[in-house]
Amino acid sequence: MTISKSIKRTDAREKIRGEAQYIGDMSFDNPLYLKTVRSTRPHAKILDIHLPDLPEGCFIIDKSHIPGKNRMRTVVSDHPILAEDEVLYIGQPILLVAGPSRELVYQISEKIRIDYEDLPAVFTLEESEKQNCVFTEYSFSKGEPDTAFAQAARIIEDEYRTGLQEHVYLEPQGMAAEVKDDTVFVYGSMQCPFYVEDALTEALGRPSDKIRVVQTTTGGAFGGKEEFPSLIACHTAIAALATHHPVFLIYDRDEDIICSTKRHPSIIRYKAGLDDNNRVTVLDIDLLYDAGAYCGLSPVVLQRGIFSATNVYNFHHLKVHGRNFRTHTVPSGAFRGFGAPQSIFGTEMLMHNIAVSLGLDPLEFKMKHILKQGDPSCTGGKIHDKVILPELVERALDLSDYRQKIQKKKKFAGVGISLFLHGCGFTGNGEQLIKGKIILRKSKDRVVLKISSVEMGQGADTVLRKIVAHTLDLPIEKVTCEIRDTGLVPDSGPTVASRTTMIVGGLLKTAADEMKSRWNEAEDFEISKVYHHPDFLTWDNDTFQGNAYPTYSWGVNVAEITIDPVTYDIHIEKVTGVYDVGRAIDERALRGQMEGGIAQGAGWATLEVMKSKEGKLVQHNLTDYKVPTSMDVPEITCDFIDNPYEFGPFGAKCAGELPMSGAPPAVVAAISNALGIPLKEIPVTPEMLMELERHED
Amino acid sequence: MVDAYRPKTLSEALKIRNETDCLPIAGGTDLMVQKARGTGLGPGFEKPLLFVGHLPELQRIEKKEGYIHIGPAVLLSELLHNPLIPDTFKKAVALMASPPSRNLATLGGNICNASPAGDTLPFLYAADAELLLENHAFERRMAIEDFITGPKQTDMKPDELLTDIIIPDMDFPVTYYKKVGQRRGMSLTKASFHGLADVLDGYVEDLRMAFGSVAPTVVRSRDIENSLIGESVNSLKNRYQEILELYEPLIQPIDDARSTAKYRKNVCFNMLKDFLNHLEKNQGDII
Repeated sequence: MTISKSIKRTDAREKIRGEAQYIGDMSFDNPLYLKTVRSTRPHAKILDIHLPDLPEGCFIIDKSHIPGKNRMRTVVSDHPILAEDEVLYIGQPILLVAGPSRELVYQISEKIRIDYEDLPAVFTLEESEKQNCVFTEYSFSKGEPDTAFAQAARIIEDEYRTGLQEHVYLEPQGMAAEVKDDTVFVYGSMQCPFYVEDALTEALGRPSDKIRVVQTTTGGAFGGKEEFPSLIACHTAIAALATHHPVFLIYDRDEDIICSTKRHPSIIRYKAGLDDNNRVTVLDIDLLYDAGAYCGLSPVVLQRGIFSATNVYNFHHLKVHGRNFRTHTVPSGAFRGFGAPQSIFGTEMLMHNIAVSLGLDPLEFKMKHILKQGDPSCTGGKIHDKVILPELVERALDLSDYRQKIQKKKKFAGVGISLFLHGCGFTGNGEQLIKGKIILRKSKDRVVLKISSVEMGQGADTVLRKIVAHTLDLPIEKVTCEIRDTGLVPDSGPTVASRTTMIVGGLLKTAADEMKSRWNEAEDFEISKVYHHPDFLTWDNDTFQGNAYPTYSWGVNVAEITIDPVTYDIHIEKVTGVYDVGRAIDERALRGQMEGGIAQGAGWATLEVMKSKEGKLVQHNLTDYKVPTSMDVPEITCDFIDNPYEFGPFGAKCAGELPMSGAPPAVVAAISNALGIPLKEIPVTPEMLMELERHED
Repeated sequence: MVDAYRPKTLSEALKIRNETDCLPIAGGTDLMVQKARGTGLGPGFEKPLLFVGHLPELQRIEKKEGYIHIGPAVLLSELLHNPLIPDTFKKAVALMASPPSRNLATLGGNICNASPAGDTLPFLYAADAELLLENHAFERRMAIEDFITGPKQTDMKPDELLTDIIIPDMDFPVTYYKKVGQRRGMSLTKASFHGLADVLDGYVEDLRMAFGSVAPTVVRSRDIENSLIGESVNSLKNRYQEILELYEPLIQPIDDARSTAKYRKNVCFNMLKDFLNHLEKNQGDII
């Protein structure tokens, strides 16, 4: 049996039967409920806080209750756990109200009055750029861009924009905490138990052996539960310590939307130099990402953004400049694709629009520029692995009948194609720094995986158990995962960056191979493994030179759309996706990722309008913020071409984030094709198309 | 917390209504959302509730003397499956919310909620629907456009209940419905248009046009319609610019979280134009 053949998901039964225990299903003796009192101002000094008389058993928790440092620990630890004297965005946590019933806590929080003195605020990327409110700034180059521009036959300048996106995981954010025998236990919905532990260590000022973080069944995350849970974990832990009660902090959807992190909005400016043969010889890319009020992990989001900005292309001369800006809006954070979908959208649409403006076929134009095995990446790292992008393109053209459709274009119908990649695992030297660990334990005829990688709906539990079961030739039921409890499992690194199958699965495969050779030993035993970066990969984090990623997964999307000539509604009829993810560990699980990624990407590109006005979100509930429903998701055809990766388990590379970058440029190219107008901004809405059409007329 | 009444009969309900300042509630798909306060907190109703959705007197659909009578507690999903309900009305209902909501929501609820975006309303306006309102002693019958007085405002008196929705049983050879939503399913309306017409030998015998979501209440102008009835289909097509200008002052949409005033206005004109273009085809249902 091949590894790719699908098995039943290991978590399907308990989730379908409603037996899975989410954080909201937990129970404690005499728990208190927390409610967060938030800033109503985008930027202000807190002058005074007026508290009502508290009924017995109710508490107010503020910055003074924080035993350790009042900062949420992440890449840049600048977000106060509870506001100090100043607030920087609407929704910023200031106080926590704790009480024995939600009703009581709600009533108390309604009576709290806060006096502010408003301070000048910056709301948009443009304003922030004008005022130079830069958090982080990076640049790198390749070849001799200045000379190349001087020699260019033609220079084209353009600007692209992408908007906010909300994760809309099915289960909103939630945590609970209790103190037992001087150990603080925090339970909740999360991607990264050890990030949470790390944040608690600092906020509580206590060693990690006095802290246990336990992941509960997590109902979706998409990056939204990468760093944000650390903040509310700190809230619950501080409250549990202050009140001597177990506490719950579970957000409603509207609260979750208002205060949780979002995808970074972006502006990306290009200057392209072309030679006489209409080849782009040199590209200058200037990326502006809106980090919101606090920097957080925006630096690494920006890094992936800039390293993905050349997408699948080999531009010989290159200048890349990226900046994160502060605005007084809800902080941006991790979101599937992590900065790459923005820059890939910009570059794919740039390539499409240049081709169309020169009267060239967009696909042929793109194919002239693609990376090949042995080429240097944008950071000068050699592309070691076989690049099968041309085969992916051919398969996608066949499956979608693209050539026929683009030639016989009908009115108000369009077809578009996108090529894209995703760098597998952490950016730069991230994997070397985190050094993921796993333990495989044999007890009689059973095997237990001890890992911190979580199941969050993406299928990691199935895939990782399958890798071990398949290697040991055991039924999957004999291979189980230990609870993701930081007291019981080693730190395999966070469940992010599409690293789980390739990196953690790779460690498990190595351990399982070793276990197989020792299977007949009489005693039970454990095998632990620590990640070792392949020696031929190089990276210099000061100059951004070398292999920004160990390897890449690749994809091609063809989108077919129609436009309603009366309403300008966009109907995405069909998307065809062909992918090289090395090898599928489980085809159905992989297909699920690709279909979901197409839906989420298409939603970001066409439906999901989220704007903020003077720091306040205009679309702040699911009535106004629209993600695709089953009625909106197009017919999807997915296919995979095997291209096994030497260092991945059974040849697997990364998959989860890859499809997020493909659908937006394919869908937008198709809309542009349907109406014959260039498009440079997402989301593309009927409102926008009607304006553009009238302008064209 | 508030009290709630669950009467067994309509007359009992009217008696409670007469004696108590209460809020009638049927499926609750609007009210429960409007009054929601959050997980673990009861809804924030200010008045006692009067449950009316279960009353058998309010659940009938029947045809009598040239009229279709629809009980206000009839579920949206029941409208979809009843042979007496015109197909063009079903088209509008089928695009409302989602199947679970349609299994709870009632026609009477959609009317009494009086949202400018209520999706049953353009058809009811176009079809000359009338409403029966009763209190414990009297009843009165009025046109739907007189009942709905503004966004979320109706002429219902504190002692009254909506007890019947009455639609003339007419067959329109040309029907047109279009809903412009943010997406295909579970979407509130940005703009909508319901058109009904009868065309004989190339001349317009009857013409009704109603616009939803683009003014405080549904827009229907009998004056404009009357000025066009009797015209040939071809001349209407050529006069559409002039017709748009007639509607221009009536269509006054707003900018909000879901769309722009400009878009809504343009799309209304496009739908109107599309409808007029289709008159000559005289071919029944469109969309």
